[in-house]
Amino acid sequence: MATTTPVSNNYPEEQIKNTPATLLRGLVSTNEFSLLMVLVVGAILVTLRNPRFLSLSNIQTLGRDIALIGLLGVGESFVILLGGIDLSVGSVYGLAGVLVAFFSVIPDESQQVHTLGIPLPLAIVVTLIICTMIGVVHGLFVSKFKMHGFLITLVTLGLARGVAVAITMGYPIVGVPDELLPIAQGSLFNVPMPFVVLVIVAVIAIVLTRFTYIGRQIYAVGGNTEAARLSGINVDRRIILCYAISSFCAAIVGIIGAARLTSGHPSAGDGSELIAIAACVLGGISLFGGQGSILGVIIGAMMMGILQNAMILLEVSAYWQQIVLGIVLLIAITFDVWRRRRQQSRT
Amino acid sequence: MTNLAINGSHFMQNDLLLQATGISKRFPGVLALNNIDFEVYPGEIIGLVGENGAGKSTLMKILSGVYLFDSGTIKFKGRDFRPHSPAEAQEHGISTIYQELALIPHLTVAENIFLNREPRVPHSPGLIDFGKMNAGARELLGQLGAQVPVRQRLQTLPIAAQQMIEIAKAISRSAQLIIMDEPTSSLASHDIDLLFALIKRLKDRGISVIFIGHRMEEVLGIADRIIVMRDGERVGTLPIGEATEEQVIRLMVGRKVELYPKQPATIGTPVLEVRDLSNGKRIQDINFSVRHGEIVGIAGLIGAGRTEVARMIFGVDTKKTGQILIDGVEQKFSNPSDAVRAGIGLVPEDRKLQGLVLGMDVKENITLSILNRISGLLGWVRNNKQRETARYYWKLLDIQTPSLSQIVRNLSGGNQQKVVIAKWLSTNPKLLILDEPTRGIDIGAKAEVHAFMSQLASQGVGILMISSELPEIFGMSDRVLVMCNGRITGEFTHDQLQEPNAQEEVIAAATNYSMGVSEITNSLPQANPT
Repeated sequence: MATTTPVSNNYPEEQIKNTPATLLRGLVSTNEFSLLMVLVVGAILVTLRNPRFLSLSNIQTLGRDIALIGLLGVGESFVILLGGIDLSVGSVYGLAGVLVAFFSVIPDESQQVHTLGIPLPLAIVVTLIICTMIGVVHGLFVSKFKMHGFLITLVTLGLARGVAVAITMGYPIVGVPDELLPIAQGSLFNVPMPFVVLVIVAVIAIVLTRFTYIGRQIYAVGGNTEAARLSGINVDRRIILCYAISSFCAAIVGIIGAARLTSGHPSAGDGSELIAIAACVLGGISLFGGQGSILGVIIGAMMMGILQNAMILLEVSAYWQQIVLGIVLLIAITFDVWRRRRQQSRT
Repeated sequence: MTNLAINGSHFMQNDLLLQATGISKRFPGVLALNNIDFEVYPGEIIGLVGENGAGKSTLMKILSGVYLFDSGTIKFKGRDFRPHSPAEAQEHGISTIYQELALIPHLTVAENIFLNREPRVPHSPGLIDFGKMNAGARELLGQLGAQVPVRQRLQTLPIAAQQMIEIAKAISRSAQLIIMDEPTSSLASHDIDLLFALIKRLKDRGISVIFIGHRMEEVLGIADRIIVMRDGERVGTLPIGEATEEQVIRLMVGRKVELYPKQPATIGTPVLEVRDLSNGKRIQDINFSVRHGEIVGIAGLIGAGRTEVARMIFGVDTKKTGQILIDGVEQKFSNPSDAVRAGIGLVPEDRKLQGLVLGMDVKENITLSILNRISGLLGWVRNNKQRETARYYWKLLDIQTPSLSQIVRNLSGGNQQKVVIAKWLSTNPKLLILDEPTRGIDIGAKAEVHAFMSQLASQGVGILMISSELPEIFGMSDRVLVMCNGRITGEFTHDQLQEPNAQEEVIAAATNYSMGVSEITNSLPQANPT
């Protein structure tokens, strides 16, 4: 390229060396690694106070809890990566549990509600579709009407819970088909089924966010929506996709929850949006968008799960548990804001 | 002090308003200021110039209390001065007017001027004396020769008026030194004249001004003395009578730079045709074309509607009527991704807000528009392809970073702009729209950007360049369109641009005044004969 100014990069061409030592150093310097260290130290401390923490049955319980938090968190993280927020995941969780029970339970005079009794696989599919459509609607409001995700999902937070209560008339729909129960209560080589589901969903999510152009575009939209739009990225489609993923994951959790309780309970998942958001922020997803990883969210979910589990094992009063949760969230959010400020002061 | 004689020999050392000696400031990894001496006389206008990263902003942030200095001394009005906050600096009499104005849009002009110092109704529990406040504001603005309704909400005023209010606010706090950081960057040329007249009035009242600028002709037109910085050091001081543009630029970059290296290119068939374009509001009757290999410049004042036209062509904003043809085929873009697919690129006017994802690295920003093209099965991004593409443009544009994984937030303005341009080059566009392509970047990078534009045109790319800098418009364009108030008010061919009074005619079309050349020259600021 001939120009009138002399062209020369002052820097040597980038060298990539993949020796085991540099790989290890790279691994140790990641955020995920530091989070994992915190997790391990926490687990050791809990074990010292109560060795029952490491018993097989406790670890399995823990696995089930972590799976539900993790699934909600992975979905939520897509929306937060965009720079939005989804407050409706707890209500969609509740609605999905009610819907799957409402569709699949055989009609019975003893129930308050006249259920439909359609085949279970169909009931699951219809439930997933309905809930995913809720996310699509969120995405449409956010992308086409330029409404902030906070507002439209706040509406759904109330609305979806209301629908769940209206369908059940306030009573749980009991007697979900036995075929549904293994998804919550079964296990594969001692690994609880919900955790297996989490691993599958997480692997798909990691591949999607890290390795596909759709994932990279999601990060770009979260980092700078306007620049992404002007770079020719179809921003509206990415927004709709992320909100749909969030609701879809919440629906999976709702179905697992129904299997766990063997009923569709209208108040299931109440307040769990807070736990999902906490798992994301704790796992390093920035509330400002465009930063963080799915792997971090999984670790964040583990931290939340262990924290809840440890409080039970250490016999912390139930009233205090909520306060501890709030404090953890405060610390995580303060750290996120501090990190953001530090980055911006460099420009 | 070798340059004491410049501003008049009657000044003694202790007449200095501000004297900084041996100021150094180190940031992690970089010595931003290296043993700088800096002095300001009362009633003096200093033009402070230097490339981005030369340390101008750091020095000004020290004076205005944003940063603390590591070593050296500052004396202000003869006393030691070491402000710990902008409020402290203002209290002592140094006010700074930033590019992004620090005003509150929903408050009135008077409320903004007296913010946090509102006159109170005597013996009341904190009631504001609005009558007194408005009268005070009116008087203050009157002294500055500005006619602004003091009870109007700020957001309804143009940027130029808002800037005057910032200055009024500084004066109401009895500022003796006002620092202006690129105050003209968002002003149209006749507003610049008003600002310069105002600065002269400040000078007459004995207030000193430090004027940081990128446009040489402005700095030369307003300053009494020019101080040039490079790489954290003061490399020269030029009294205004002796300074020439070339001299200042040579000091700034430390080498000779050739601006506007427009090379002739073969001009082919129209790549873009715009017919009867309007947005149903201000933009009306837009008709023009850009041919392969041609650089078409759009001149005009800020707010003339140039950016809006570009955004409609690129599918960002919807058009009300009209047709857009690419290579003779009509296009209907519902969003920018359609426009990108049709071979258009847009380098937006604000690279940080619209051009870059600041938290991503160089590689990802360069390939942002072609992510789907470099992806394989299931949308899997091919890392090697991404790295190769990014490295190719990194070398081609000589982007100065240690690696492709550098986060673009940490790059200088010029290198950031090169990343935005690289992003569009990677899409192989037929038509590239550049909106203020060299705003706020240093002169070396500016010349390189101009060279690339020239290069692209010679490869057959059509270029539409929006610019508020007339020298850039004249230096780079094969043809110039002038816009005013949402319409095209003038078109100049390459030959017409060579005529001696072409510049005046372009200004006339941009301001839509049907006045003669002499009237325009009269309305320009008079050079100060100090």
